[in-house]
Parts: sequence; structure tokens; C-alpha cells
Amino acid sequence: MKRLLCALSILPALPAIPALPAAKPCGEITLATTTSTQDTGLLDSLLPMFKRETCIEVKPIAVGTGAALEMARRGDADAVLVHAPEAEKAYVESGDLIEGRRIMHNDFLIIGPTGDPARVRGQKDAALAMKAIGAGGSFVSRGDGSGTEKKELELWKAAGVSPASIAQREETGQGMGATLLVADARNTYTLTDRGTYLAFKDKLSLVPLVEGDPRLLNIYHAYVVNPGKHPTAHRSEAARFVRYLTDPKVQEWIGQFGRAKFGQPLFVPDAQTTSAKAGQPEETSGRSAARSR
Amino acid sequence: MDDLQHGVAEAFRLLVTGDPELYQIIARTLAISTVATALAMLAGIPLGYGLARGRFPGRTVLLSAVNTGMGVPPVVVGLVVWLLLSRSGPFGSLGLIYTKQAMVLAQFVIATPLVVGFTAASVQSLPVELPDLLYTLGAGRLRRLWIVAGEAQLGLLAAIMAGFGAVISEVGASMTVGGNLRGSTRVLTTAIVTETGRGNLPVALALGLLLLALAFVVNALLTIVQQRQRS
Amino acid sequence: MDVSVADLQFTRDGRSVLQIPALTFPSGTTTAVFGPNGSGKTTLLRLIAGLERPSRGQVRLGDVPVRQDKAARRCIGMAFQTAVFLRGSVRHNLDIALRLREVSASDRRSRIEEAVRECGVAHLLDRPARHLSGGEAQRVNLARALALRAPVTLLDEPLAGIDRSARTQLLADLPRLLATFAATTILVTHDREEAFRLADRLVVIIAGGVKAAGVKSSVYARPPDRETAELLGYTVLPANGRVVAIPPSSLRPGEGSLTFMLAVEDVIDMGNHLHVIGTIEGERVDLRLPASMAPPSAGSNLKVHAESNIVLLQG
Repeated sequence: MKRLLCALSILPALPAIPALPAAKPCGEITLATTTSTQDTGLLDSLLPMFKRETCIEVKPIAVGTGAALEMARRGDADAVLVHAPEAEKAYVESGDLIEGRRIMHNDFLIIGPTGDPARVRGQKDAALAMKAIGAGGSFVSRGDGSGTEKKELELWKAAGVSPASIAQREETGQGMGATLLVADARNTYTLTDRGTYLAFKDKLSLVPLVEGDPRLLNIYHAYVVNPGKHPTAHRSEAARFVRYLTDPKVQEWIGQFGRAKFGQPLFVPDAQTTSAKAGQPEETSGRSAARSR
Repeated sequence: MDDLQHGVAEAFRLLVTGDPELYQIIARTLAISTVATALAMLAGIPLGYGLARGRFPGRTVLLSAVNTGMGVPPVVVGLVVWLLLSRSGPFGSLGLIYTKQAMVLAQFVIATPLVVGFTAASVQSLPVELPDLLYTLGAGRLRRLWIVAGEAQLGLLAAIMAGFGAVISEVGASMTVGGNLRGSTRVLTTAIVTETGRGNLPVALALGLLLLALAFVVNALLTIVQQRQRS
Repeated sequence: MDVSVADLQFTRDGRSVLQIPALTFPSGTTTAVFGPNGSGKTTLLRLIAGLERPSRGQVRLGDVPVRQDKAARRCIGMAFQTAVFLRGSVRHNLDIALRLREVSASDRRSRIEEAVRECGVAHLLDRPARHLSGGEAQRVNLARALALRAPVTLLDEPLAGIDRSARTQLLADLPRLLATFAATTILVTHDREEAFRLADRLVVIIAGGVKAAGVKSSVYARPPDRETAELLGYTVLPANGRVVAIPPSSLRPGEGSLTFMLAVEDVIDMGNHLHVIGTIEGERVDLRLPASMAPPSAGSNLKVHAESNIVLLQG
């Protein structure tokens, strides 16, 4: 008994013993991405696939869009996958992000209580819908500087409504999932990306009310962090990852992701799309816009 | 280091310019944690006293439970409270989720085992005959508790500092049950998470420094009182 | 106020600690509850104070049963074995004790002055109570109990843990103090000298049962059995098929009505007398011989006899 106790007493110390360094012949990269992307579960399936094929380990750090872009600027990440084209522009111009590629898109939708007090159900113009919500109902915002929040603020602006003037608008300062839970508890309107919505659908009593407006498109780009500015960035592995995302096989896989679980895919693959679409940032790495793939 | 300097500068700027939102957050942080700690004292000190003095079956088990409770991760407490208060939970109809009251509740649950544990330890370190002496002198139960608490002051102040320190610095439960709502349930710790998430590092650092300063001031006051009792 | 006990039993952890069918402490007397360690005497005191609840039976203070409530506690003033004080000065401690008894401010002042004066600790009034020496602490402890002027005063080993000179002093002062302040006193001790010097009456408790109770001279003169006799200081020896208890220091050299053979082990020259240590029938005994006598040699046999107060024991 005594010996057993002695043996057991080392158990608490075991976690402190450094794990044998895993053989890392292929390297690893840090990917700065957003909580929305993380919440969809896309990376949980995609990254192991990437590792199997290339043996490169990708460490995803999911934070707000603002923080993800800042990570790139500080050199804390090797690659970036975000969906805030307007904000991304500044970082591309400053040279922090290079070799950007458009990967996929999904869309945002406005969800709300089944009772729909603001009467926006089926409204095709997202800005008008927001105007009605601002006047009548209440709203829960992410308030965290994310791509979703930026989209929300764009819509308020287009509607001519100042967010501060809305009496019952609450900001959670958190990710999409947490914000959905708060909106659900408050039984009120919010703007969400489809991916997170589908993942949370069963937990929510709120329903989709406004969708389809082209302004509600949510476009994802992947970038490599410029090693010229941050010599420790793992450029070749990061570039490999970005290339992988645009590979037709992977693109097809992305196009199917979510169908089994949610009945519909969460994303629309976009790598073949030229950057000539209105409002999309140009790729500034100097490669030709039209890609043959 | 650069960021640290910016953080300190930002902290001063926010305080000096009297940023109203910041002052609100500070006031809210103090209010919630103080109320929770006060409630934890009201519940925990008599419980700790009873546990230290009592002789009943299962006392050791209860004491072990309290000691375990001291080590429960606050985020777990937050999760459990959230499950109880969320709309689909058993107490959902109370509408307490994402309110300050919910945060007080969660922080109360976190602080109480600490207060009970520290109180029991400090009462047990008193001369064992003290409550007996008071009993024979004719002191009723409440009077005895009051006098013993006075004798155990050093230990009890340590209990309060432990409880307060735990709740003012915790973020998991506050985030989960409070929702970090701007203007209503956002406190210093959850605000730090938000600002960090935005990449607003100088502001996040400033908030962190303010939190440290706040905790320090409160603990300094309590320590002064405690050390004065020592003589 | 007298204290009486009826059909008292106390069990702890399944073990019977105390069984007393009947016992009385008459009003105005000082009784020493005397017995070896672990005999249950402190438990008896605690039961009288109301700190423990009996498994069976009753303790009465006067006519009132001691239930664990405030009114009964008013009748008790207790000094514990280890002097326990609150933080603060001696004066503060005495003051709090009297305040808990709801004594008025002016009465408190006069009682404290009187108690510390009589107990010889007036000079310690402003000293922090926890900084007192053993002897000082016990005196203050006593002063506190006596200042309560309770009808029944309980003292648990009042002279325990203090150094020799302080003890001697207190031993001399205590009877007078008890006479001045205390009405009925019950004190617990394992020390024979304390018991006989401080009390009028004796209650001998061994293994939870009362072996003898009454005025000390009669208790001393008639020990009921071997255990009690030895506790009271007798030397118990077999003689002619009977068992006799011989009071200490009553063996003399030579023959007498009851003669024994002492096997000498050691002889110590004490200056004015010889101290002989030896055994009689395996029982160790001490004997004083006048210095004028020729010292017997170790290993020799010496005839001795007992003088007075031999007690015949049953069995």
C-alpha cells in the first residue's frame, strides 16, 4: 500500500515533465484566424488533412479580426486567414501581409425572434432591415472589432442610423458563438455569419429573417506574413498552406464542408474567382490576377 | 517593453481624462466583487467557525469538500451557474442570465469556500478552550462567534483578502454568466479580454495595470488593518 | 448552593467514561475531586459546567437541573487548566468576563480591584494577558473566576504547569481566597498534596466511578480498596493472609504488633536521618531511621513494624 501511494504521488508531477520533442522534420506554422472561422469547425477538419499531406503542423490561434491582423503586424503569426477585406487592405498596403489569395466566402444573415417585432422578415435590402430594427426592436452586437462587427457598422451607416442612438443595442465584446447565446437569451436581433449560425442552430430559438443581400457577403482571404519585415516567419510553410487552400481538391472539399452535419454547405469556394469583383482587395504580391487552376 | 510603456501611458491617460466608460467599469468591478465577498463572509465565517468547532459525523468529509472547493477553477463555477440560469436551464425563468446579479452569484460561489477554509483554519489555531471559556461566562452562540471572530481577526482578514482577491481577478465565470455586455456587465477582467481580442494592446495593458492597482489598494488597506491588530 | 448528581453516565466513542449513581457537593464546602489521569474527573467538572451533555442522568445546581442554557451558567465560575485569555490587557480580560455576566460598570471596577489585590496580581493589570508567566497567568485565571462571585466555583487543576516557588505560594494563598470569594468550590486535581491542603471534602474517582466521598479525614481513614488506598498514599502489604494499608511514614524499625521483613536495597545518609529503600514482599517501601542507628547494609533484612492507623482492606 505504501509503495502504491509512493508511486501515485509522482502523478501530479508528470505534466511538468517536458514531452519528448516530437520529431519535426516538416516544421510548424502559426495561423492567425478568427473565432468565427474556428467556431465553424472548418479548421478542425482541414488542418489534420494538411498535416497528413505535407507533414506541416498548423497551430491556429483564433482571436478577433483586429487581433489577428495585429498578430501579423507584430510577427506573432506566419499565416493569416480572415474575412474583413476593408481592414485587410491597410495591412497589405503596409507590406505586413503578402501573397494574399481569396479562398472562400459565406454570407451573413440577420436573425431574430420568431415574433419579428420589427417586421423585417423577407426584407431583401439589408440596410432597410437594419433601419427598421434600429427604430423598433433591439440588437446584440459583437462589439469586438471583428469582421462581423465591421459589417454590422457598415450596414448601420448605409441605413443612416447611428448605433449609439439605439436604446437597446448591447455589445458583448466576444466571439460569434457567445454573442448568439446572449442574443438568444435576450430574444432579440443580431447579425451572424451563416457558418456559426448553422453550427448553433439547434441551441437557438432565433430564426433567419434577412438574407441574400449582396452586401451580406463575407469573403475570406489567406495571407502569408511578410518575412521581409519579420525574419522569423516561416515563409515557405506558410506559402505552402495558402497554396493548399487554393488547390482544386481542397476547394471542392471546402464546398462540401458542413453538408453532412447541417444539411447545407457552410462556404462557397472562391479561389478561382478573379479579384476583379467590386470591392475586393487586389492581390499585391505581383502575381497575375487570373489563375489557371 | 515598448508595449509596457504604452500601457502605462495609456493607463494614466484614461484615468486623467476621466474616461466615463472606464470609471463605470471600475465602479462596477468593485461593486460586484465587494458585494460577492461580503456575502461570502456572511455565509462563510459562521460555516468556518462551525466546521472548526463542531464534532459531528462527516466533519472530515465536509472539510475535505471545502478544501477541494477552494481549488475549483472559477470557469467551471461559471459554467455551472450559466447552465442553471440560462433560459433553457432550471432557473431560466428568473431572467438572471447575463446580469450583474448572476455575476455576484458566481463570484459568491467562488469566494465562499476560500472564506470557510481560511476561517476554519484560523479558528482551529485558537486555544481550544476559548469557546468553552466564553460559554461558561454566559456568552450566547452569537456572542461567542463574535468574540472568537475578534480573536481570530488576523486569520479572518486573510480569509477576506483571499476571497476578494480570487473574485476580482477572475475572468472565466464573469465572462460566461455576465456576457461582458458593454454598459451593464463588463468588468475590468472581461474588458481586458475584449481589448486583447481587438488587438488593442496598450488599452488592454492599461486595464491590466489598473486592475493590479485596484487589487493592491484594497489589499493594502486590509493588510494595514490586519497588522495593526497584531500589536 | 449545593451541587448534586443523580444516575449520571457519560459515554464517548462507545466507551463509558463516567458512571456515578449519586453524589452531592454540599453548599459552602470546598471539595477536591481527586483521581489519576484519565479517571473522568475533568469530564465530571465539564458536566457540572454544562459543557458536556450526559448520556444519562442529571446534574443539578441547587434545585435546577443544568441544561445547556444561560441561566444555569450564571451560577458557575470556572477556571480552566490552561489559562485562556483574549487579546488585550489583564484588565480588559477581567472586564469582558464581568461584562458578559452583565455586571454594572462601577461594580466591575470594584470587583476587579478586589480580585487582583487578593490574588496578588494588581501590578499586572495593564500587562498584555498573553505575556504572563505561568504562575502569573494562573493567578489571573483564578482572579477572573473568583471575581464572578458565582455560587459554584469550578477549578480544573488550579496548580498545574507552574514552577515550584509559584506553586508553593499559591498553595498557601488559595484556601484563604476560596474562603473569601467562593461559596461552593469543586476543584479537580491529580495531586494528593493539593487535594488535602485545599479542600475540606474529598471525592476519589478511579476509572469513572466514585470510590469514596466525604469529609477528607474520614475518606482518608477508610479507603475501600487497594487502588484507593494506594492513591491516597498508603503502602499496601500482605500480612497474615490479609491485606493491610499502611499510612506513609509509619514504619518503624523493630518488632511490633504487625511485623514485616524489609529487604534493604539502598541506604542514603540524609544528614539528620537515614533514608532506607527496600521491599517488603515485593512492594517498594521507604523508611526513615534515626541518624544514630547503625546503617543496615544493602541486601540485609531488617525487621520493621507499623505504628498507627493500619487499615484492614477487604480481599
